[in-house]
Amino acid sequence: MALYIGKRMAFLVVMLFGLLIVTFLISHVAPGDPASLAAGPDAPPEMVERIRHEYGLDRPLPVQLGIYVAGILHGDLGQSVRTGHSVLQDLSEFFPATFELVTVSMLIAIILGIPLGMLSAVKQNSWFDHAARIVSVSGVAVPMFWLGLMLQLAFALDLGWLPLGGRLGIMSTPPDPVTHLYLIDSLLAGQWDVFGDALSHLILPAVALCFPALASIIRVNRAEMIEALGQDYITNARAQGISSFRTVAIYALKNAFLPTLAMIGLRYGWMLGGTILVESVFDWPGIGLYATQSAIAQDFQPIMGVTLLIGANFMIANLLVDLAYIWLDPRTREAA
Amino acid sequence: MSFITTRMKALPIALTLAAATAFTMSGPAQAFEKTPQGSVLVFGGRQPVPNLDPSQKYDWSTRMLQQAVYDALVKYEGDPAEIKPWLATSWEESDGAKTWTFHLADNAKFHNGDPVDAEAIKYSFTRTLKIGKGPSWMLSSVLAPDGIEVVDPHTVRFHLKEPYAPFLSFLPWWYILNPKEVAAHEKDGDMGQAWLTEHAAGSGPFKIARWQQGTLYGLAALDNYWKGWPHKTHPAGVIYKLMRETATQRAALIRGDADIVEGLSSDDYEVVKSMPGIAIEDHPGMTTFGVMFNTSKGPTADINLRKAIAYAMDYDALLKVYNGAATLEDSPFPAAIKGHVAVKDIPRKDMAKAKEYLAKTKYAGGGLTLDYVYVQGLEEERKIGLILLDDLKELGITVQLKPMTWPNMTALAEKADTSPDMMAVFTTPVATDPDAVAFQYAKGSWGKYYGSHYLDDPDLEKMIVEARQTAEWDKRAPIYAKIQERIVADQPEVFGMLANRRWGRRDWVHGFNFSPVHFTGEVDLYQLEIVPK
Repeated sequence: MALYIGKRMAFLVVMLFGLLIVTFLISHVAPGDPASLAAGPDAPPEMVERIRHEYGLDRPLPVQLGIYVAGILHGDLGQSVRTGHSVLQDLSEFFPATFELVTVSMLIAIILGIPLGMLSAVKQNSWFDHAARIVSVSGVAVPMFWLGLMLQLAFALDLGWLPLGGRLGIMSTPPDPVTHLYLIDSLLAGQWDVFGDALSHLILPAVALCFPALASIIRVNRAEMIEALGQDYITNARAQGISSFRTVAIYALKNAFLPTLAMIGLRYGWMLGGTILVESVFDWPGIGLYATQSAIAQDFQPIMGVTLLIGANFMIANLLVDLAYIWLDPRTREAA
Repeated sequence: MSFITTRMKALPIALTLAAATAFTMSGPAQAFEKTPQGSVLVFGGRQPVPNLDPSQKYDWSTRMLQQAVYDALVKYEGDPAEIKPWLATSWEESDGAKTWTFHLADNAKFHNGDPVDAEAIKYSFTRTLKIGKGPSWMLSSVLAPDGIEVVDPHTVRFHLKEPYAPFLSFLPWWYILNPKEVAAHEKDGDMGQAWLTEHAAGSGPFKIARWQQGTLYGLAALDNYWKGWPHKTHPAGVIYKLMRETATQRAALIRGDADIVEGLSSDDYEVVKSMPGIAIEDHPGMTTFGVMFNTSKGPTADINLRKAIAYAMDYDALLKVYNGAATLEDSPFPAAIKGHVAVKDIPRKDMAKAKEYLAKTKYAGGGLTLDYVYVQGLEEERKIGLILLDDLKELGITVQLKPMTWPNMTALAEKADTSPDMMAVFTTPVATDPDAVAFQYAKGSWGKYYGSHYLDDPDLEKMIVEARQTAEWDKRAPIYAKIQERIVADQPEVFGMLANRRWGRRDWVHGFNFSPVHFTGEVDLYQLEIVPK
């Protein structure tokens, strides 16, 4: 097992390095000059050159790549031309916001999606199944930003129940940073009012973001449950008089859950890098907005930092899913 | 099975309860925020402030906050924009605009109580020139650090390398920093650059209270501001809250979550202006829109073709793009620029003339295709492209609309060979001095987005240099009148329109003092007051 994990980790490092090279080359061959953009529209050539020199952009590409890789090995992801901060500092500021949003969003999708998928399978072709299908189809079809705007209109503007955007109310002070996750940090500090404020700000963006994942979970779980419920061991369990709940929620679900779990892992990794639209609509100060602003300014090092982070997240999410597979399925455990 | 159903029935109820609990946690939307210190005004804007250091950066959102926490020797105020004494109570120029002497207010103090003296002025100008970023380009060709003389603690003198009449017009953007405070936060000889990205060492009417990058920037008003306040009911603070989507800004304004917003679309303004409690600030701006030609390469190097296009354009349609909230350009200089004159022969739609000019080109028979490059996602620029496409069809010219990201557009503009046939360009002059606009048509602007015309007119160049080196306004004004006529004759662009600057505000916000020299969404926060109903 340890050997398997070790191999996977080594593979992960190789993949990240490949990702780094590809991102570096793409961002550097794209037209546009970050030094010129940072200097501003009126800057004379010598000013642009000064900025280019300051950030090492005047050096040959292989040298820039070498410096960047050496920096990464020392825990330095470079410096943003746009913000003037170290990329690591920026990422540590913006990533927790995205992580909190995506995690809560995925939890909502799992908590709702698994039972809804299960019930749809149990009550196949009933009105409930049709309703769940409408949710799952629209979850894939409805654009996230549109859903976000509609939720804002309904719950923030018309009903006034929830705030329009941001992580906290405008006059609230963030809790002392421990994990940088407001929900957890406010609980650790015993600040219940801040917890409530953070939670109320999280609901709309989390719901908007969770919808596609919710749809996928319902669909996959329903299909797998229908297949599992048709198996002989389920008929056998029912014949033995085992309770319906136990048969469905324990025996069938455990077998149907493996493909759903794989899908959740992939979705989670994808969501960590795909929050930009929701972050824009709800002014959520996360990594998606940071990445977009950096891309607009052609600020190479933040772009590469974000890409590496998202890539690492995706790979780690996959690794965790594989480990969960091993834990849940004895056959996979033996193979590993 | 029934057991499952029972358990599942409980789930929605639990979720509803959880949601209801959360709903009650969010307080009702209120107007301006009330604090023990007084009312705090909330400004909703799209653009972040990644770096507050006045020596490193300026754009509209950055400058709005810089203006709040720093002071300069002089300040732009009002419409038309006038230069008012600020840290300097008076000044005089001598030696034909080569030497400038400023006398400082004796009560001006930095936020930590240190006096704002001539040494601080010298330090701040030297720092900006040495760092060589931000506004340094405005004066770096005429001012060297050793040209700044401290005459006495309250007098500072600038010895320029050559006569430079527009000198004063750039000074409002050169903010003064406290040398001692900067020195205390210097790291590895960086002149405090790292610290000043999110801190301030100024003497302005506000100080920084909160700085949550990517979320909001909070300022607290100084009750004992050395220059005093224009209103007793000035806000106790201002929060600049980032709201990136126009839909969010609109909702925030309607809900009262924001007191002023800057980025609504033309249609949004139409919707909110009739709502109770909301007022619209709508002012003729100084940002020109033009369709810039490449005058050095390709078909648009032919002046007759440029003239033909300029006469084929439907200018009234341009105004409709902004629902009428725009004014047609009657000169390359916006009306708010000193020395502006309406040029009589500036083209307006006249198809007969357009065909006449086209006949003088080798494209008389049509069959020509021209690129129109514009910023991807900027709906107004796309609509103008469609107008152009429609208008030029009659001349047998096909227009290809090419949306691009801004970095890609500026990259194309960097070389005459790659500069597009036609490029949509919004330009805001940084000062009201005519040189700020005239210079856009000089060789020194080649390679910049507003210099993508690559216009090469030696006579025009000579006039621009002559005008900036002439001290007396009476002698400069006629030169600028000629410059405006000359630029129109050269037709380096289709001179379009000046879109109005607009803000939506709640009606309890008073003291909105518009000045055309401010950038896009920039507001003078010092002038604002909150008058609750």
